[in-house]
Amino acid sequence: MGKQIDLLQGTLDMLILKAVSLGPLHGYGVLLRIQQISGEQLEIQQGSLYPALYRLEHQGWISSQWGESDNKRKAKFYSLTAAGRRQLHSETEKWNRMASLIASILHTTSEQI
Amino acid sequence: MNLLTRFLSWLKWMVKGQRLESEMETEVHFHLQSYAADLVRKGLSQQEAMRQARIEFGGIESHKDAVRASVGVRWWGELGSDMRHGWRLLRKNPGFTAVAILTLALGVGANTAIFSIVNAVLLRPLPFRDADRLVRIYFNEPGVGLRDVRFSKPELDDLQTRSGVFEDVSPIYEGSEDLTGAGQPEHLGGVNGSFSYFSMLGVTPQVGRLFGPQDFVPGASTEAVISDGLWRRAYGADPKVIGRTLRLDNDPFTIIGVLPRGFRHPGPTTSGDPEVFSAFGFSADPFPPPMRGTRILVSGIGRLKPGLTLAQAQARLTAMAAELRHDFPADYPPQAKWTIEIQPLQETLVGKVRPMLLVLLGAVILIVFIVSLNIANLLLARASGRQQEMAVRSALGASRGRMVRQMLTESMLLSLIGGVAGIATAFGTLGFILRFVPSNLPRLNEVRIDWVVLAFALLISILTGLMFGLAPTLHSVKGALFSAIREGGRGSGYSTKTGRLRDLLIVSELAFAVMLMVGAGLLLRTLRDLLQENPGFNPTQVVAAHIQLPNPNESEGDTYRDIPRRATFDRELLRRMKAIVGVELAAITSALPTTNANPNAVGGLTSEGFAIEDRPVESSQHLTAERIRISPGYFKVLQTTLLRGRSFTEGDEDGKPLVAVIDESTAHKYWPDQDPLGRRVRFARDATQPWTTVVGIVKDIKSDGLDIDGVPHIYVSTYQDNSREMSVVLRTSLPATQLEPQIRHEIQSIDSGLPVFDVSSMNDVLDRSLASRRFSADLVGGFAGLAVLLASIGIYGLLAYMVGQRKREIGIRMALGSGRGGVLKLFLQKGMVLAGLGVVAGMVLSASTVSFMGSLLYGVRPHDPAVFVIVPLLLFAIAVLASYLPARRATKVNPMIALREA
Repeated sequence: MGKQIDLLQGTLDMLILKAVSLGPLHGYGVLLRIQQISGEQLEIQQGSLYPALYRLEHQGWISSQWGESDNKRKAKFYSLTAAGRRQLHSETEKWNRMASLIASILHTTSEQI
Repeated sequence: MNLLTRFLSWLKWMVKGQRLESEMETEVHFHLQSYAADLVRKGLSQQEAMRQARIEFGGIESHKDAVRASVGVRWWGELGSDMRHGWRLLRKNPGFTAVAILTLALGVGANTAIFSIVNAVLLRPLPFRDADRLVRIYFNEPGVGLRDVRFSKPELDDLQTRSGVFEDVSPIYEGSEDLTGAGQPEHLGGVNGSFSYFSMLGVTPQVGRLFGPQDFVPGASTEAVISDGLWRRAYGADPKVIGRTLRLDNDPFTIIGVLPRGFRHPGPTTSGDPEVFSAFGFSADPFPPPMRGTRILVSGIGRLKPGLTLAQAQARLTAMAAELRHDFPADYPPQAKWTIEIQPLQETLVGKVRPMLLVLLGAVILIVFIVSLNIANLLLARASGRQQEMAVRSALGASRGRMVRQMLTESMLLSLIGGVAGIATAFGTLGFILRFVPSNLPRLNEVRIDWVVLAFALLISILTGLMFGLAPTLHSVKGALFSAIREGGRGSGYSTKTGRLRDLLIVSELAFAVMLMVGAGLLLRTLRDLLQENPGFNPTQVVAAHIQLPNPNESEGDTYRDIPRRATFDRELLRRMKAIVGVELAAITSALPTTNANPNAVGGLTSEGFAIEDRPVESSQHLTAERIRISPGYFKVLQTTLLRGRSFTEGDEDGKPLVAVIDESTAHKYWPDQDPLGRRVRFARDATQPWTTVVGIVKDIKSDGLDIDGVPHIYVSTYQDNSREMSVVLRTSLPATQLEPQIRHEIQSIDSGLPVFDVSSMNDVLDRSLASRRFSADLVGGFAGLAVLLASIGIYGLLAYMVGQRKREIGIRMALGSGRGGVLKLFLQKGMVLAGLGVVAGMVLSASTVSFMGSLLYGVRPHDPAVFVIVPLLLFAIAVLASYLPARRATKVNPMIALREA
């Protein structure tokens, strides 16, 4: 395992929304999906996923349904709601703007001033 | 939208808390199992995989807790456990709990009861449709100092049509009528209004129908509507009462309807509220022809058109009055400045009692303050003992907010239990309390505990809970963290921080007690002054009874239609009264002292204008006096001193020169530097009337009430000028109850249709006139006593606690050679400083608020020096005594034992 990056404050919600936007997932699946798409680069304390999932559902951005997992066990599957999709969209935009702003600040050289 | 989603989600989990727990459990379990399975696939042993999974998952319970918090149900669970904890604490200290709940129940109960009266009388709108549009209409002549003068039919029509501000107007005759028919004649309150009286108020009958504009006749209606009370009393609630005939003042009336149960005529409240209602057209017999100057209508109620403010309507009426003065100069002498005024009906009914009720409400609110300060003090003492608990909690990771919440939950629990007990107390005792409320309090029949009152009681409970919960909470949360563990939980003595807070509580408690005592002192002094007030006559051994001669609309059957006929009745009445064994003297008056309850009623005392002979018109502008018709023996019966001249004789009768006796107030006011004897006056300034000569001067009699001074009265002979309403006064050594049957028998031997009512001794009459003052003085006095008791318990408790906490210090002081006197001084001084501060603060607060009570006082200034000297001294003495007891206990401390124990 390579060096892992601690998750930035507040980004977990965004990652969860992104993960479930690709298809309904149960809690453990969300964790696997995030690890998979981040190339195992992110360190998430597994348990802290659940308060975040319940909070997002509480806010109406994801919804849940009980179903059966691949190994034939009862599991709760989360999927993105319309409101969640809008939220993910605006969060993504905000993030991109922020990232490019920070990047441009950090790339500033003395000649540019 | 989002808020709604969240609320629904919260509600779902609140309702299905159990499901939340099991879902979380299942999810966590699934997660761990799946992860462990993946780890096994990577080559770990089953056991090792499970261990690894648990480690990486993190603290399961704390994550679950975070889940509960994130759906907003965690505080609910915590609330439950705080409540259970608080409940256990209360059960563990039954003494403290009992005292706290009892005092709270008393405080909240008193507040609930008083507020239920305030709510019914002052706050709730009158029980009529759109009651805010109902107004009382007054006609005033400010130029001659007259308010509420009578008006004429054409002026009524002007209000109806010309003014354009009223949807409807009804003149009101409030009076009493003699009901005859079956059994004992009864004397009833009655109202005669216009035909639109009921439709204007918006009333629907419970049986039959009410008269309305369609029933209009120009003279007097022969249909009557009766109250629910009369219907039940006289007709046994018989629904077939409709169509039956009752006789009022000998006139037959057909009953057409029964009013709903809660209906009460919106007029001044007297012991007999109106029970029969009839209508007049005011323009034909028995009424004189409608002329602008024939002012026969007594008072009026109107309903404003919708959308009109009071100010707009008033402006329009003022303008109309000016036009009328201009158009009819003969009917409106310019110097009188005749004008029209309107006032919200509710205000005219309850305006007078507002100050009294607000003072009572203020008093009970002060009581509940004191109660909660007292409990705060007890809790604070307990909180000092709980510092260690708090320190441990905080060391184990409880946040400050969490601890504040726990403490507040505990005090809220206490205050809500106290509040519920208080509301229950109020529910149980309201009926009992209302029996002590003077019956002339308007709208008393509407008093009940409704949702508004319950909300108020709940608010008071919550506020007291916050008040007494906050001080100890802040104290323990702030103070506990550092000191307690370090000090090993040993009582650290009376620390400065707690000490200051507790001192502040005691000082405010004393200050509030001072305020209540000042209020009570002023009210009690007023009452005492009034009781000692010389009413201008000797009320002992005087019995009074009321009679009202019928005033039928049909003048043919009127046995008492003119002055000579009524004078004949008067003479016969007096002859028979004097013949009763045990009656020494008898006399008649049209105004029994202190009973002038309803100046709007027909025959009620109102100031009348009069003229003095040889005085220029301009200077006679302010001449007003109340006219009282009496028989010759009146002053002898009352033992009122005749100062000059003579009283009336049997010879002052119809056809002889008119004579008058004036009282001192009249003499001083209108003949300040002349001899009034032999001067001549004329009522109503009517030039066609003969002059009346002043033949005597008597001392003032308090005819309008013990608390009303200096109203000029002019007495005239009942044989020359009389009215149908009269009281007979008898000087006798017999009690009223023994005389009553004989009085009734004699009067009904003259006319069997005459009811005799309110037979009572003159002392009782005086007593009743002070009923509402006595009620408020007693109540505030009782509250003040309670406040002093609570405050002295507070200061006693504080010092006793201090002595207990500082035993070791006392021991050291004594071991080092301090005498018992020094120890006594130490604590006594503390008590005196607190008492002094509290008293001074209370005096300052009282001095700045007492002027609100001005209208409730008589003969006492709001800043009465006696009250403002006695109250602080008294309270200071009580406070010093309360601190002396624990201080003395301090001197009994045995230094050896104290040091060893510590």
